[in-house]
Amino acid sequence: MTKITRRTLLGTMGAAAAASAMSAIPGFAAERTIRHFWWGNPERDKRTFAVIDLFQKHHAGIKVSGETIGWKDYWTKMATQTAGSNMADLIQMDYRYLFEYVHRGALKPLDEYVGKTLMLADFDAAPLSGGKVDGKLYGLNIGSNSQVLVYNNKAFADAGITADVINWTREDFPAICEKITSASGGKMKGSDDLSTSVDIMQVWVRQNGREFYDADGKVTATADDIASFWDYWAQMRKAGVVSGKDRTVVINPPLSETGIVTGGTAISQFWSNQMVGIQALMKDKVGAAMFPHKKDGPYGQYIKPSMFMSLTRDVKDVDAAIAYMNDWVNDPESTQVLGLERGIPCSPKVRAALKPTLSDTEKDAVAFFDAIQDRVGKLPLPEPKGAGEVYELFTRTASEVVLDKIKPAEAAGQFIQDAQDIVDRAR
Amino acid sequence: MRRFITRNAPGYTFLLPWLIGFFLLTLGPILASLYLSFTKYDMVSAPRWVGWDNYVYMFTRDRRFWKALHVTFSYVALAVPARLIMALAVAMILDKGLRSISLYRAIFYLPSLLGSSIAIAILWRQLFAKDGAVNAVLSFVGIDGPSWITDPNTSLYTLVVLAMWQFGSPMLIFLAGLRSIPKDLYEAAEIDGTPAWRQFTRITLPLLAPVIFFNLVLQTIDAFKTFSSVFIISHGNGAPADSLLFYTVYLFNEAFSFFRMGYASALAWVLLVIIAVFTGLAFLSSKYWVHYENERD
Repeated sequence: MTKITRRTLLGTMGAAAAASAMSAIPGFAAERTIRHFWWGNPERDKRTFAVIDLFQKHHAGIKVSGETIGWKDYWTKMATQTAGSNMADLIQMDYRYLFEYVHRGALKPLDEYVGKTLMLADFDAAPLSGGKVDGKLYGLNIGSNSQVLVYNNKAFADAGITADVINWTREDFPAICEKITSASGGKMKGSDDLSTSVDIMQVWVRQNGREFYDADGKVTATADDIASFWDYWAQMRKAGVVSGKDRTVVINPPLSETGIVTGGTAISQFWSNQMVGIQALMKDKVGAAMFPHKKDGPYGQYIKPSMFMSLTRDVKDVDAAIAYMNDWVNDPESTQVLGLERGIPCSPKVRAALKPTLSDTEKDAVAFFDAIQDRVGKLPLPEPKGAGEVYELFTRTASEVVLDKIKPAEAAGQFIQDAQDIVDRAR
Repeated sequence: MRRFITRNAPGYTFLLPWLIGFFLLTLGPILASLYLSFTKYDMVSAPRWVGWDNYVYMFTRDRRFWKALHVTFSYVALAVPARLIMALAVAMILDKGLRSISLYRAIFYLPSLLGSSIAIAILWRQLFAKDGAVNAVLSFVGIDGPSWITDPNTSLYTLVVLAMWQFGSPMLIFLAGLRSIPKDLYEAAEIDGTPAWRQFTRITLPLLAPVIFFNLVLQTIDAFKTFSSVFIISHGNGAPADSLLFYTVYLFNEAFSFFRMGYASALAWVLLVIIAVFTGLAFLSSKYWVHYENERD
């Protein structure tokens, strides 16, 4: 019996340790191979594999193996592969993680290929520079996006709402939610409760004239910012015009379980490139709105690179990898297949070529993008190490507030202090 | 020496696959994790030696560590007795000599095979959701049930119920134990007019003690290590509001979400010590309540 006991025990212990001891698995393929790893959804995967097929047709002799997984597990798998020196040659990167990975030495700069095998000459400068860290280009922008509130057009029409959804304010919003709720007899609430949304919290703080972090990684958002944010939603929760607690505490649900798609609410929050995916799941037509701003204050939103493609330190065949990257952003056929699914491309040529082929939803997404251009603020500074953990801390604390386990003011003070602790510890 | 080799070489040769596996896949990682527990290691840059820092931080500053311990201990304290009682009860029913007993045995064992699977965890999440099957049944009798899984007041109990449902393997062992109790003891008790409850406390329990002890130790260890079902049900991070922050889930998050492999290794070693202490306590206490047939007092 002791034997069984000990073996089972060792099993658990091994779990954490195994990852660190795992070593790279060498490839045996004779031909040139590159691995591309991205987080996806069914629609994105379909398009990406189609691009891979195109590339293999254009470049005989290079094989691309595509690997895909959901957002949440993506970063876990990435961490394990990074530790095992087994990263794919090309990976999809997020603005949130770019600096962390660069500072840990996991990515390679692209500058030496730009203008030679990676042609970016006429690309928009601002979105492109979002992929720079310490002056070097580590992430190739493969689409830009912004925060968006997606709303149900039919629900708005049924409730007789004609608000200007770009210029509406924080004061307008609760009344509109109330109208939708009562027009549907309480069956459809006005909006998802966004207390646990890190993205919207950040917009809120910016609307108050502050950034969440300063350049030195100090938390500059105040406890008042956070408390007022939670209070705002708490009041709507009390009025019964936003989604229920049990929905709110489910963090990052799949698209199919979000309020607007299930019909539980008329408004849910996303990133603008996700509009196509949402419309695909819904009968009612959807529209795009900005998050309501503070009267006479800034709008708080910003346009950011929605995804990057990055070259990893474990890359085997650099030339093949760069050729693949170049096709991604320049090849007319590939860019046509990719469309706007990953965000708005930063090559004007590609955008022009896409224009006549856009679906209605895609046209709406582009119109939204144009409408917000001169209302958005500048891209926030790169976040310090540990920022990812601060996000988790936020959703956790917000859940406790939503569940009435702690008062907003008290929770906010605690949150700001803990966030600073996390950042300091990660240095 | 030569004799030792000629005599044992074939044996070790046959053992070789296992030995290689043990040294490479078990012992190696264990030693590596012991080393890493004294380092700061983010899995990308090289580990940096920090001495006892990880352990000091854990016990003095890490509130989530204590929260995780609290959740895990609560779970073990509830789930282990619940599962053992369930297992014993079913074993006793089966022991009464039902027809086609092997069929029932198989059916009752099934949940244990399925219980730790991902599919069941996902099913569980559906069953106990606000609009799930459990509340649908409750609504027939006019009860408006809570959202069991996303309500931090009830979420832990849904996992205790899941643990209870997987009573199969201790049940089989209990059944074997019950079978080995001599029937004439019960016959003698019947003749003396001993009521059933006293037969249970005076005959069944004492004679079953070694088996109960065995099950207790195994199930306790098992409960401390619960991971996959909680990981799925709590969306991988102990949600809602850390009410399902099992120690193993916390460990996993520290390692793979926050890139603190060194700290996570330290957590793993503390878990090892905790399990060892509990197993040790069980063995010490067994002197007072477990008696084996071939023992003389």
